[in-house]
Amino acid sequence: MTTTEQHTGGMQRWRFALVLGVFVLLALVVAGRLVMLHTIDQPFLFEQGEKRTVRSEVQPASRGIITDRFGEPLAVSTPVKTLWVNPQQVDPAQLVSVGQKLGINGRELQRRIEKAKRQGRSFYYIKRQVEPELAGDVLSQKIAGLYADEDYRRFYPAAEVTAHTLGLVDIDGHGQEGLELSFDDYLSGKEGSRKVVKDLMGNVIKQLGVTSVAEPGSDLALTIDLRLQYLAYRELKAVVQSHKARAGSAVVLDAKSGEILALVSQPSYNPNNRAALQPENMRNRAIADLIEPGSTMKPFTVAAALEGGRYKPTSPINTAPGYVRIKNKTIRDHRDYGVLDLTGVITKSSNVGVSYLAREMGAETLWEFFGKAGIGRPGTLGFPGEAVGSMPYPEQMDDLRLSTVSFGYGLAVSPLQLAESYTSFVDGCRKHAALLLNQVGQQPCESVMSPKTARQTLDMLETVVSKKGTGQRAAVEGYRVGGKTGTAHKVGRSGYEDSEYTAVFAGLAPLTDPDLILVVVVDEPQGKEYYGGEVAAPVFSRIMEQALRLRQVIPDKPVSDQVLQVAGGAQ
Amino acid sequence: MSVGQVTLWAAVLLTALAQINAVTWHRDLLKEWQKADADRQQLTQEYSRLVLEKSTLMAHGRIDTLARKRLQMKEPEHTRVFR
Repeated sequence: MTTTEQHTGGMQRWRFALVLGVFVLLALVVAGRLVMLHTIDQPFLFEQGEKRTVRSEVQPASRGIITDRFGEPLAVSTPVKTLWVNPQQVDPAQLVSVGQKLGINGRELQRRIEKAKRQGRSFYYIKRQVEPELAGDVLSQKIAGLYADEDYRRFYPAAEVTAHTLGLVDIDGHGQEGLELSFDDYLSGKEGSRKVVKDLMGNVIKQLGVTSVAEPGSDLALTIDLRLQYLAYRELKAVVQSHKARAGSAVVLDAKSGEILALVSQPSYNPNNRAALQPENMRNRAIADLIEPGSTMKPFTVAAALEGGRYKPTSPINTAPGYVRIKNKTIRDHRDYGVLDLTGVITKSSNVGVSYLAREMGAETLWEFFGKAGIGRPGTLGFPGEAVGSMPYPEQMDDLRLSTVSFGYGLAVSPLQLAESYTSFVDGCRKHAALLLNQVGQQPCESVMSPKTARQTLDMLETVVSKKGTGQRAAVEGYRVGGKTGTAHKVGRSGYEDSEYTAVFAGLAPLTDPDLILVVVVDEPQGKEYYGGEVAAPVFSRIMEQALRLRQVIPDKPVSDQVLQVAGGAQ
Repeated sequence: MSVGQVTLWAAVLLTALAQINAVTWHRDLLKEWQKADADRQQLTQEYSRLVLEKSTLMAHGRIDTLARKRLQMKEPEHTRVFR
């Protein structure tokens, strides 16, 4: 018994030791593994853990607002949501209803996500720039793997009216055209980013630090007056449609400061609907297109003659027999005007008259004078695609070229540059066109002619709008208006086309103390009317009349008094 | 245990509790911030919506048509001078 007891006792002790030993060994293995994980593998594991939880979140910065001179918004960024899925986490069948809600083909979406899933992708845009309410609706279904990011969308309240000036941005919010492009850096803010820890559901549970704070973009205030912009656009659109013209543009400048109050082009486009964009409609014709100014240049030739001191507004010039031959070319007037005074040359728009003046003065004088008025210079707005005017050098001007330049052929300006050069008739000093409110008056005006010459030219321009002038349809009731018509043949493949014209009218009002300068250009008007005085002058009158009233300019022309007697008010 | 050891233990326990406290505080603040940020987002949305609405309603062309059609307004004519 004792031996067996001893035996079993020894046996028991041995087994106990064995079990204990095994357990100690296991504990050691576990401890060893723990030590390994905490020491040797630690950096690797830590990194992997971070990779799975720590996220760098980008916070988009809002783009600056563009406003008109009175703070009316022209371009506004509003927050929207961008919806995306992780195809690895999402059940594509669930997305069918999502697609339908967002107006996408649900089946098609499901097929694409399934494909993306097979390809091992973990990011797929469902729809970008979704309205917040709609996005919230979709997100409330709590579909796993469907996420929303903050984003901004650009809206243009005035749409096609300001489209050319403002330009537009692409879907990522970068400027593509116009001011949005040239002031992209200024308008776009700086994106912020921060490091956060996210849980499995994508919720932020811990913020580790902010790498950079989002800075919103700066706002841009333009010199544009939205009211004038609207009415200029409306009238221009009407004339382009009624004359079936190819294109048109209008520029309104503040006569005293050169501020651009309205800048419109036709045809236009709606920048809020990017799907329907057509590149040919996106041209800012008032800035990017060059036109031959035609007769609208004549006031400068005449002013140059006055400035020379040898002529007075009443000096006689013989334009008979109504044409002149220079180097095998005939320069014609509409009819034989006989002897005109200098004022009459402008009133009747006599080509022969200005050619005569130009040859008297010589190429050098004319070139210098036109140059001071800003003809042939590059634009100064810093606008993308801004046209550079052209003007032949004196050495390039033979007698024929000199004559044609004197009535506005053989040189090129943009409608804006034409308006800019007309500011020289206000106090004889050319102002620089400005489109940004804080740029106004940064450059001093350039003296072109003496104030006396400027005043005399203005008085001549008034006769154009009178009953005997070529631009009588530009008249505005109650105001003294001055301006000049222009009709230029367009250049085609083989020189000047016989039946394609550009109709121009450039003018100022009120003449007593000019407030506004307006240039209207209608490109290729179809039909019987194509002269500047027939097509562009009526538009000038309509825009000018409404603009002067809106700006509350005091009428300077006494109207024949038809006094309405008020009952009881008789004297 | 010596006095030193006791204070060390106490300090360890205290800092551990403080750590827990700090983490909770951090989460609370984060929650608050997230809520405020969502509010900000909401308000910007509303603001820009209102700005757009306002500019649509105040568009020059619209007011012009309303004044002419609904209110039967006219431009003053020069001949109508009341004496």
